[in-house]
Amino acid sequence: MNLLFLQFLSGTILLLIILLLIMKKNFSVVFAYGLQSLIVVIILLNSFFEKGGLLMLLAILVILVIKVILAPVFFIRLIKKYALSFSASTYLSTPMTLIVITILVSIVHSHKFLPLTSIVPDHQVLLSLSLSAIFLSLFLIVNRKGALSQIIGILSFENSIVVFAVFANLEQSATLQLGIIFDIFVWLMIATVFISMLYKHFGTLDVSSMKHLTD
Amino acid sequence: MEILFIIITLVVAAVINLMTKRKVIIEVISLISSFVALIGSIILALKVSSSGLFAPWSGRFFSIDSLGAIIILILGLVGFATTIYSIQYLRQEINKDIIGFKRFKEYFILLNIFFAAMFLATTASNPIFTWISIEGTTLSTAFLISFYNKPSAIEGAWKYLIINSIGLLLGFFGTLLFFTSIDLSSVGLVDWHSLSLNAIHLDPLLAKIAFVFVLIGYGTKVGLVPMHTWKPDAYSKAPAPIGALLSSALLPISFVIILRYKAITDIAVGPLFSQKLLITFGFLSIAVAALIMFNAKNYKRLLAYSSIENAGVMALGFGFGGIGIFAAVLHLIYHSCVKVVLFLSSGNLLLKYGSAKIFNIKGALKVIPATSIIFIIGFLIVTGIPPFGMFMTKLYILSAGMKDYPLVSVFALFFLVLVFVSFLKHVSAMFFGEKPENIEKGEKNIWLLIPQISLIVIIIILSFYLPPFLHTLINNVVLQY
Repeated sequence: MNLLFLQFLSGTILLLIILLLIMKKNFSVVFAYGLQSLIVVIILLNSFFEKGGLLMLLAILVILVIKVILAPVFFIRLIKKYALSFSASTYLSTPMTLIVITILVSIVHSHKFLPLTSIVPDHQVLLSLSLSAIFLSLFLIVNRKGALSQIIGILSFENSIVVFAVFANLEQSATLQLGIIFDIFVWLMIATVFISMLYKHFGTLDVSSMKHLTD
Repeated sequence: MEILFIIITLVVAAVINLMTKRKVIIEVISLISSFVALIGSIILALKVSSSGLFAPWSGRFFSIDSLGAIIILILGLVGFATTIYSIQYLRQEINKDIIGFKRFKEYFILLNIFFAAMFLATTASNPIFTWISIEGTTLSTAFLISFYNKPSAIEGAWKYLIINSIGLLLGFFGTLLFFTSIDLSSVGLVDWHSLSLNAIHLDPLLAKIAFVFVLIGYGTKVGLVPMHTWKPDAYSKAPAPIGALLSSALLPISFVIILRYKAITDIAVGPLFSQKLLITFGFLSIAVAALIMFNAKNYKRLLAYSSIENAGVMALGFGFGGIGIFAAVLHLIYHSCVKVVLFLSSGNLLLKYGSAKIFNIKGALKVIPATSIIFIIGFLIVTGIPPFGMFMTKLYILSAGMKDYPLVSVFALFFLVLVFVSFLKHVSAMFFGEKPENIEKGEKNIWLLIPQISLIVIIIILSFYLPPFLHTLINNVVLQY
């Protein structure tokens, strides 16, 4: 796959995170996340065809099944079950969110982060894009009020790290892929249980309604 | 072989607990597994003390250095003590209809998984396995924190889950950056040793950024300020023995992981960078915890802030270096033991008074005298009152900083005094004065006291005498870090 196409894919991931940050509908958030995961799978597949590795193929399959298919289906069922259609609200307003996005992307492209983005000199643009995606995913987790959006933020954060690892040529480590697989399993297991528990106790998935721990 | 035996025993215990429907079997199995873990960790610590490093199968999967040996020794000890306590504590909660058999069973399944994950995190020779194990502790403890299934417990667990997951992913990212020093196409499993060997190939700026990510990531699990916000909520909502384990076992384990990365970073950029960061985070932790403790309203949250403060003291010790490191390791050992004493005693207070609010606890010395005396001794130990060992460790750590960072040492001393004053204020309010009329006098059960008494005896002995093998282990840590 040529560099330009990889740049297009990385740019799309970044764009999807920006959309995740400003979207107000939970269905759109889940769709954007599913699409982001699919792009991660394509990037990993490209790496697999170039370098091979059985564990890599397993990691790709796990990501495909869990992140692209099962997780979005699970989230959509959850949204339908609890009627969460318009609860993907944020702490900052859209203009403020866009300003923070601009600042974060500028910071990543500053010389301070040059050691990170020049790990593989040929992939500087790709690494800058994936590092921006990491920072924006972090912002996504912090800025969203909904528990569901926070989970998606963390999963998006994971996706961004995986993409960074691929472009930094670190994806070949077998243990790294084990780490990724384990993390996906753990997260979705916990998310499944906790989302239901949260809704049962609070009647909403808006985390700003959690105010029992004040003392 | 021993380490695999410990982990397998704990996992098997979790599986048996999952399958059985008899309470007594769960209790016996959990007790046996934690006892096996204790004996195994003593054997391993003795081995490491005599050989310097224990790395079975050429260190492919496991390797235990001196600091790792100290940690598993602590883990074995506090694990056994909390298991004994948990059995009686949960029996009391069942009698009070606070929990049922299902919760009881769930508790011991998760407890054994938690132990296994912590042993694995300490002994894994591969940084990613270590990370996976720490993630495993998050999985088990999240459900233990939400154990009582109340809105506040769920909220505490959710906070813990989200903040720690972000922290761990940052730690994972930092780990990835350390991997850039190695040609991964020619290496199978990357271990701590090969990361150290290749550290000289790390770009110094990259090493600095990587260490910052790791420090923030695992520092979240340690509870260093400003990544501490989950801690008071989680500690106060979890069952008392779980609070004890989070503070006495998981905290030092995460701290040790930071130290391992510190050693690698120091090779790449020299020790000053990591030392300054540890001093900054350490001092902030002491200051913030001290200021909040003064106005604490909940005694379990008070203990949580005390853990943050002591994590700060340890960070200062490793930041200052020299004798500060020796003192920090000893401080880590004392802190783990005394925090179990305090948390388990807080469990007794909760069982008796049914409230974790300081305001609701009055005249405890008359109601539960043994627990009260144990708690007061714990308070004296943890605040660093002589002749207990923590007085000497705090003194050595602060004096280690006097030469290069006198202001930090002086202000840290001020905040440590403030911690003592705050603790004294709350202890006076809780233990002295007249007891409420509706509270009956008397301890619940002797087994709710024995673990704490045993640990106090151990702390007192270690305050005056260090067994040769432990002395060797601590000396090795000073040389290594």
